[in-house]
Parts: sequence; structure tokens; C-alpha cells
Amino acid sequence: MKKIPYENILLFKSCLVNVEYPGVESSTRYIFDKLGVEYRVDPDQSCCTGLGYYYDLFDQLSTTALAVRNFYLARRSGHENITTLCSTCYAIMKKTIKLLNSNENARQEVNDILKKAGLSHMQYQAGDLSSENNIFHVVEVFYSLKEQIAKKIKVDLSGIRIASHHACHYCKVYPEDSITPFRNPMVLDELASSCGAQVVDWYDFKKATCGAGFSQRFANRDLSLSATSDKLLALEGETDILLHMCPNCQMQLDRYQPVLEKELGRKLNLVHLNIAQLSALAMGADPYKIAGIQTHSVPVEGLLDKIKVHTNLE
Amino acid sequence: MIKKDHKNDTDSLLEVVIKDYRAYPEMGIKRCLQCGLCTSNCPAARHSDYDPREMVKMVRDNNPEIMDNPDIWNCFYCYTCGSNCPANNSPCIVNQILRQKILLKGEKNTRIYKFLTYGYSYMDFGVGSIPSDFFDALVADFGQMYVELKINLEDIRHDLGLEDYNLKGKALNEVKSILKSSGFTNRLKKFKECHES
Repeated sequence: MKKIPYENILLFKSCLVNVEYPGVESSTRYIFDKLGVEYRVDPDQSCCTGLGYYYDLFDQLSTTALAVRNFYLARRSGHENITTLCSTCYAIMKKTIKLLNSNENARQEVNDILKKAGLSHMQYQAGDLSSENNIFHVVEVFYSLKEQIAKKIKVDLSGIRIASHHACHYCKVYPEDSITPFRNPMVLDELASSCGAQVVDWYDFKKATCGAGFSQRFANRDLSLSATSDKLLALEGETDILLHMCPNCQMQLDRYQPVLEKELGRKLNLVHLNIAQLSALAMGADPYKIAGIQTHSVPVEGLLDKIKVHTNLE
Repeated sequence: MIKKDHKNDTDSLLEVVIKDYRAYPEMGIKRCLQCGLCTSNCPAARHSDYDPREMVKMVRDNNPEIMDNPDIWNCFYCYTCGSNCPANNSPCIVNQILRQKILLKGEKNTRIYKFLTYGYSYMDFGVGSIPSDFFDALVADFGQMYVELKINLEDIRHDLGLEDYNLKGKALNEVKSILKSSGFTNRLKKFKECHES
């Protein structure tokens, strides 16, 4: 397995974590603090542009030039282990570094853009960063510290079944870099197991997309929901929690589950949590002040009652 | 003697795809076996007439009709096709490149027009967002809770101990300067004009 860092981490903010599931960031910070992981959140970091890139709106050079500015911020503060909360940020930055390191013309064009913008000091030289050794997803840090996480679990999850949704942009854009085999992704399952839960090893459509499809959710709603239904219906009765590692997937499956339930005329009895939220809750974090479950569409309170986590919002 | 058919001096579709910065040096489009693993695992192919195998074949055949095929707009950009491809091709990336080419010709601008607000918002705050033109549609699906969430977001983030995420001052100006010199500002303007003309 590749070497996973636990210091000099730039915790890379995600646009959809910011506004949809901010509890994913606060939970991650809570776990990092408990485990002694050294990290920084940079107030000047701009977004990766991933949503815009996959809406077909952003061009590769603009996305790359903005990423190079973020790389400069990471290098300047000595936090070159860029670690993302979102699978699309992860894939976008890997793509950027691979392009810059392998394509002299692209590198020259990006450096010219920075020069024209008065930011020559931010220019990128081939090999400044490596796609394999500088870009990580938060789950990889959790995975490398899973024994330490297991020691800090305070909540009994042994009666809870957990299935996983491994985000496509983590497993499929650069499958060779995924820390468990991309055809049978187990990162989240193994982490759920470390938290003491029962793991639903496989279900139909485990590897399938959440259905967001970037522009499809908006421009092609019925198509998008068809794919989302495939996944949710395959999970009906199979699990108590679907575990996430990407805010876009979580938004698609959590926010559209009630829409689908209304169409079906029945409840699917399944809640959605990001791995950071689940681990933080299992370590004793407050559901509202750390895990941020109040931003979810499918209420999490019923599950928390079941595992005896206090849910009175003060 | 068999002579290679020299086409006119404009790049073939295959060359356009291979040279694009979204492509990668090892992308095996020329080695495509037409095995169909891409199509058999594709969520868009499952639920619509989109056929990534056929799309790749048409690009290789330099068949311009692929540019008018409405089904290519159904790809989810999930990369499932590429992850399964025995030739290390990525139909998903081929699709992205075709869409870029179509949009830059000034076509399909009704579709991209509604996503422009993502770009404007990025230039104003340096962060990504749900395009505001779709907010009402989301509220129709997600209900009043979604409106409440947006109203209370700042308080919720404060309770969670999280800082403001919007860029300001020097950082924001840097982002704006980059987007101006990269041509992104003009690109948005062009997409807007194509739709409105």
C-alpha cells in the first residue's frame, strides 16, 4: 500500500461539504485531533472547480491554473500532503498533476496564465508535486490509522448493518491508486468493521454510480433518478446505514431518498452517513455540534436512539 | 499500390481527442477492441440509448454524425467504462472532449446556459456551488427543509466550529486574475451570448 501521511496535511475544503454536509468537515477535524494528525485548513484555498469541470463549464487550463495556485498555498505553508473530503477534488487534483508533469505545452500555458495574472511566483515546475505521493482522500488517512480508531470507539455498533458506497471518482478515475482493489472496494467496509459494525459485504449495484451525474441531476432528472433508484432499491432491507465518502453522492442518495419513498409509497429504512460522521459518532462526538446530522434529509435520530447516542438538541 | 487516404488538413476527430488536455498520454482509443464492456457497465446505457462503444467507433471512423447524437449528453461522467476497459481507453473522457467541442462551436448553449451561474458564483467567491438557476427545482424535490438549511447554514456552521469558506481580498483577486488570463471570463461571456443571440 502507498505511504499515507499523518502530518503536513492540507485538509482540502469541499464546496458541497461546505454547504450540504458541513458535519463531514467538523467530524474529520474531530477525528484528526483525537488521533494526533497534524493538518491545516487554509482560508485562501479556492475550490477545485470539479462540479464546473463536469458541468462542461470549466476548461482544463482554467481548472489546472487554479489548482496550481492551491498547490502553491500548500507548499508555502509546508502542508504538501493535500487530503480531500470529496472524491471529485481528489480526482481533479490528480489529473492536474499528471497533466502538468507529463505535458510541457500544458505546463507552459498554465505558467503563462499565472504570469499574466501577476502570479509568476506560483508557477509550477515538472515534478514539484506527485499525483501518487501528494494527493490523498481523507478515508486513506483513516484507513492507515484504523487500529487507533478502533481503540477509541465508545458506542456499541454491533447491532447495526452497514453497506458502503465507494465514490466513482475515488475508485474509477485512477483505479490503480485506490488502496483496496477497485473491482471490490473495501476501504469503507473495513473502516466500518473497525468501528464495530456488521458489514454488508456486497449488494447489487455496489459499484454503481449514485446517479448525480453532475449535470444529469439538473438537466436530466429522470435519467439521474433511475440510476439512484437502482442503488437504493438494491439496499432495501439489506442495511441500516449506507456509508459515504463523497458529499455529492451523499447528497444524491440522502436528499432523493425521500423523493423516491414518496413515489414508492413506503419507507426504505436506511440512513446516510459519511465515514467521518460515523467514526466521530462512534468515538463519542455530539451528533449536532460535531457530526452535523441536522443537515440531512433522511433523519438520523432513529438510528442514534438505537445505538443509544443522546439526541436532545439543546 | 494501396495508398493511405490523406484527408484534408483539418484534424480528424480521433486526433482532436488524442491531443486534448483532458486526454492522457496512454489513453488507448486506437487500441479499442469494440468489446462492449464500456456499454455493458454504463448506467446511461442501462437507462437510455447512449452507447459508449458506438461513440468510440464513430470517433475512430471520423464520423461527424456523433456530434449531433443527443444521447452523448446522457453520460454520467462516472468513469465506470474506463475502469473496466481492457485497452485502457476512457469513453468517459472521449465524451467530455466531444461535448467541449460542441459547446465551443456555439451549439447546445441552452443546456450550458443554466450552469453559467456556477461560473459567476466561482468568480465572486472562489468556491463552487449548486447553480442557482436550479435551486427552485431542488426545493420542489427536497421540500422546505432545504430552504431552512440554506437560511440557517451560517448558524449551523458556527455551531460546528467551522469558519467562513468564501475567499476575500487578495485571495479572491488572485482567483479572478487567473480566470481572466485563462480566458474563462470570456468563455462564460461567449456561452451567454450564444444562448441569447
